[in-house]
Amino acid sequence: MSESNKFIFKKYDANASINRRTAIITIAKAGLFSILGARLAYLQIVDKDKYEILSDNNRITHRLIEPQRGIIYDLQGKPLAINRQRYEVVIIREETSDYIKSIENLKNILPDVNIDTEKLYSEIKKTKKFIPIKVLDDLSWDQFSRLNANIHKVDGLYPQIGFKRYYTSGQSHSHIIGYTAPLDKKEKDTNTLADLSSAKSGKLGIEKAKDVSLRGKLGNKNVEVNANGREIRELDRYESIQGKNIQLTIDSDLQDYCYKSLNDQSGCVAVTNIKTGEFYALVSSPSYDPNLFSKSISSEKWNSLTDNIYKPLINKSISSQYPPGSTIKPFVALAALENGVSEKREVYCNGKHEIKDTSLESGIKTFHCWKEEGHGNVNMNEALKVSCDVYFYQISREIGINKIAEVCKRFGFGQNVFDSFYEEKKGIVPSKNWKLESIGTPWMVGETLSAGIGQGYFLTTSAQLSLALGQLINGGEKIIPTIVMDKNKDVQKNQKISLNPKHLAIIKKGLEDATNTQGGTSFRSRISGNLKMAGKTGTSQVRVISSQEREEGLKKNNELPWEKRDHGLFIGYGPINNPQYAVSVIIEHGGSGSGAAAPVASKIFKYLFDNNLNLKSKSISNV
Amino acid sequence: MFSESKAELTIFDKLRSINYFLLFLICTIFFIGTLALYSISNGNFSEWPIKHLQRFILGLIIFFIVALLDLKIIFRFAYLIFIASIAALIILLIVGDEINGAKRWISFAGFSLQPSEFVKYTLILALAKYFHSMEDYHENFISKLIIPSFIVIIPVAFVVIQPDLGTALVIFLGGVSVIWISGLNYKYFISGILGFILSLPILWQYLKEYQKDRVFTFFNPERDPLGNGYHITQSKIALGSGGIFGKGYMEGTQSHLNFLPEMQTDFIFTMFGEEFGFIGSIILILLYMALIGIAIRMALTSKSLFSKFLSLGVCSVFFIYVFVNIGMVTGLLPVVGVPLPFISYGGSSMLAVMFGFGLLTNCYINYNTTLTKGSFI
Repeated sequence: MSESNKFIFKKYDANASINRRTAIITIAKAGLFSILGARLAYLQIVDKDKYEILSDNNRITHRLIEPQRGIIYDLQGKPLAINRQRYEVVIIREETSDYIKSIENLKNILPDVNIDTEKLYSEIKKTKKFIPIKVLDDLSWDQFSRLNANIHKVDGLYPQIGFKRYYTSGQSHSHIIGYTAPLDKKEKDTNTLADLSSAKSGKLGIEKAKDVSLRGKLGNKNVEVNANGREIRELDRYESIQGKNIQLTIDSDLQDYCYKSLNDQSGCVAVTNIKTGEFYALVSSPSYDPNLFSKSISSEKWNSLTDNIYKPLINKSISSQYPPGSTIKPFVALAALENGVSEKREVYCNGKHEIKDTSLESGIKTFHCWKEEGHGNVNMNEALKVSCDVYFYQISREIGINKIAEVCKRFGFGQNVFDSFYEEKKGIVPSKNWKLESIGTPWMVGETLSAGIGQGYFLTTSAQLSLALGQLINGGEKIIPTIVMDKNKDVQKNQKISLNPKHLAIIKKGLEDATNTQGGTSFRSRISGNLKMAGKTGTSQVRVISSQEREEGLKKNNELPWEKRDHGLFIGYGPINNPQYAVSVIIEHGGSGSGAAAPVASKIFKYLFDNNLNLKSKSISNV
Repeated sequence: MFSESKAELTIFDKLRSINYFLLFLICTIFFIGTLALYSISNGNFSEWPIKHLQRFILGLIIFFIVALLDLKIIFRFAYLIFIASIAALIILLIVGDEINGAKRWISFAGFSLQPSEFVKYTLILALAKYFHSMEDYHENFISKLIIPSFIVIIPVAFVVIQPDLGTALVIFLGGVSVIWISGLNYKYFISGILGFILSLPILWQYLKEYQKDRVFTFFNPERDPLGNGYHITQSKIALGSGGIFGKGYMEGTQSHLNFLPEMQTDFIFTMFGEEFGFIGSIILILLYMALIGIAIRMALTSKSLFSKFLSLGVCSVFFIYVFVNIGMVTGLLPVVGVPLPFISYGGSSMLAVMFGFGLLTNCYINYNTTLTKGSFI
C-alpha cells in the first residue's frame, strides 16, 4: 500500500491531485457522452427502419368505409328495399387507455339509452384491439348530436353515420325480399364485409340469394390520427363500391293485391308469365313487418313469430310442400294420353275403386271418389271437369307410376324452381326407384292410385305448380323461372318440352270446362266477359280417413280442428284464348280447392286482366 | 480574515475577463431550445418560446450579478446560502403547491420556483467552502467525512420526500463529484459504492409505487405499453424514426400528433432528435461537450481550492443534467424527470443553471484571488 492510502484526504500536492482527478472525471464524462452518441446511432441509424414503421403505425390508422347495399326494385322500377342513414357509435380499444371509463361517460351523456355493458366488455376483450366494435346502433338525430357535442369525453368512441336497410313495401313483400341481420359466426370468416362492425348479410329471400352482389365492396381510408385517436387529416381514400342494384320481376302492386286476396289466411300464391318465366308475384301469408329486423329484435317478438302456428316467417310459396291433390290430374291425364289411353275412353265411377290387398283382413282395399255417390260414366274431359277420382285411379293403374313420374318431372315437379333460394324445397315426385332409394321398400299398386290423384308421397310447392302449368299451357316451351331481372338473359333458347299439341288441346278443354261450364269444380269462380280463366282445383288430405270414420259419415271440414282440415289448391291460367299467366293458390287447411283457393285465383286473374298493359317491366337505368 | 488579492479588479476588468466563448455556447444552446419550443407550439411564438426567452434574459441578469459579485462575499456567505436553501426546502414541505402528487414548487410574488434546483449549487458552495477550509489535510480522521456527508444527505433527503427522485439523484451525484475531486481516498469511494448497492433493497421499500413502476418499466418497457412504458417507447419511436437527417423542422409526426408526453420539458430532446435526426442530436451533444470542456478548463485556472471545487462541481452538476436527461429519453436510464439545461421549458432550472455558470465565471474572473480558510461566517 502506498503512503497516500493512509490518509482520508491527500494534500501533499493538492493541485496535482485535483488535476489528476479532474482528468479522470473528464475522461469519464467523455466516455458517457460517447455512450449517448452510440445509443443515438443505434436508434437513429441501425434501427431506423423499425422505428419508422412504428411511427407510421402510430400516426396512421386504417378506417373502413361501409358500402351501401344495392337497392332492390320491382318490375315497375319502384324501390322495395332502400338504405337509410343510421347513426351508430363504435369503440376502438387501442385508441383509448380506459374503455370502461369511456363507456361510463357515454352512459352519462346518453342516459336514455340502454347499454348491456357486461356483454359489451366481454366482446371488447375478445376482439382484436384495432377492430371497431358497435356500442350503440340506430340513435336518434338528437342523441347523435348530443354525443357529438360531448365527444371529447369519450376517448376511443366514434360516432358514425352508416346505413340501414329500409323496406318500403310492407308485409306483402317480406318473404320474397327477405331481410338483413348482423353476420353469423360462420360468416365472419368468409364474408368480405366481416371487418366492419356494422356488417350485415341477407338472411332470407332475395337479400340472401343475391347477398354477394347486393353487399358491395368495402372502401377504406388511411387517416392521420393524434395520440388520442382523433382524425387529423385523411391521407388517402378508396371509396366503397355500392352493391349492385337489383330489379325483380315481382310487380309490387300485384304482390300486394295477392297478399290482400289471401285475407290473412295461411297460404301462398305464385303468378308466372308463361311465356317469359317471370314470376310477377310470390306471396306467402301471414307475414311479418320486414323492418322488424333492422333493429335487434326482442326475444319475445321473435318467439311470437316462431311459435305462431301459421308460421309467418316461412315463405310458403317456395318452402312449404303440399300434396298437389287434384291439381296433378292434368299431368296424369297427359301421361295417360301419351301412353295410349284414348280421350274417349270411359270409366264408370260408382264412388269407389277396389284393389286386392292381402295385408288387409278383407283382402280388399277401397279407394273412394270425392263424390260418394259416384260420377257414373266419365271420359277424360268429364273427369277433368268434375275431378273424378275413380277415373284417375283407373288410368293411373293402367299406365303405372313411372309414366306419371316421368311426365311430372318433365314439367318441373320434384325440382327447384329457382336456383338461388336456399330456403326453397323441391317437393317429391314418387316413383318405384324413388321409393326403393328413399324408403327402402318396394312400390305397391295402391300407392300408384294415391299418386294418380296427387296424394300419398306426392309433394309440391306453389311456385312449382304455377311453373309446371305454365310450361304445359304455353305448348311445351321451356321457360326459365326468373325472379330477378337479368338484362343479359339469353333470349328464349326455344328449348322444347316434348308435348303433343293434340294432347294439350284435350287437357286445355278439360280445364276450361272445369271453370267455365256448369258442374265444373271451379264454375262458381269463373270470370265472365271476354277474358276468362281456366284451371283445376285440388283438395289435399292431410290425414288418413279410416274406414270406421267413413262409415260413421264423413265429418265436414269446418267441424275439424284447423290443422286437420284439407288444403285447398287451385292452379289456373288465362286468358283462355291467349294464355299469358299461370297462377297457383294454396290455402293451408282451407277445406277445399273450389271453396277456398279458386275464388282467390279468380280475383287475381281479374286483376291481371284489368291491368294487363301495366305488367310490362320498366327498364331502370341504374340496375 | 481574508488575505488581500494582489490588485482589486474594476467592474470593467471583470467584464473583460468573462469567457465570452462560454457565453456564446450557452446562447447557441438556448437558441436551439427556443427553436424546439417554437416547433412544439406549432409555430406559436407567444406560447412557450416567449416565456423561455424571458427566463433566459432573467437568467443572464442573474449570471452577470453572480459573476460580478466579490468572490470573497460568496465565499463568506457560502454556508448561509446553503442553509437558506435548505430552509426553503423545509418551508416547501409545509406550504408548497402540490402538483401531480409532489410538492416541488413554491409560489413567491407571482413566480413559481423550485428550490431543489438551486440546492444543487448551494450544496456545492457549502462543500467547496468546507474542503477549502479543512484543517490539516494530513490528519487521518474519518470524522472529517461526517460534515460533508450531512451537507449532501440533508438536501437529498428533503428532495426525496417531496418526492423528486431525479433531482435528488442530481444533487447527490453533484455532491459526490466534489468529494471525489477534493481527494477522498479511493477505498472510501469503493466501499461507499458497495454500501449503496447493499442498501438498495432497504431503500427500495421507501420508494413510492409510481417510482417502483418506473424502475420496473425501465427494465422492461413492454410491460406496460400504455402506462409508464409509453414514455420510453414513444420516445424511442420518435428518435428512431427521425433517422440520420430527421423529419425536418416542425415535421415531427410523433411530437406534433401528441404521441410524446411532456415534450416541452423532459422529452424535448426527443422532439429535437425526431426533427433533426442523428446529425442534429450529435451536434447538440457536441455543443454540450464543448461547453463542459471549456468550463472545466476555466475551473482549473483558479488558484484557490474553493474556486476549483466550486467550478468543477458546477461542471459536474451540468454534465449530470445533460447525461441523465438524454440517457432517459433514449431509454438508457429510467424516467426520473430531469430537464435538459437551456432547452427544456422550465424557469427554475434555467435560473439555477445560469446561477451555476455565474458562480463558475466569478471564479474564473477571480482566478488569482486567494482565500484564507473560512470560519462558519
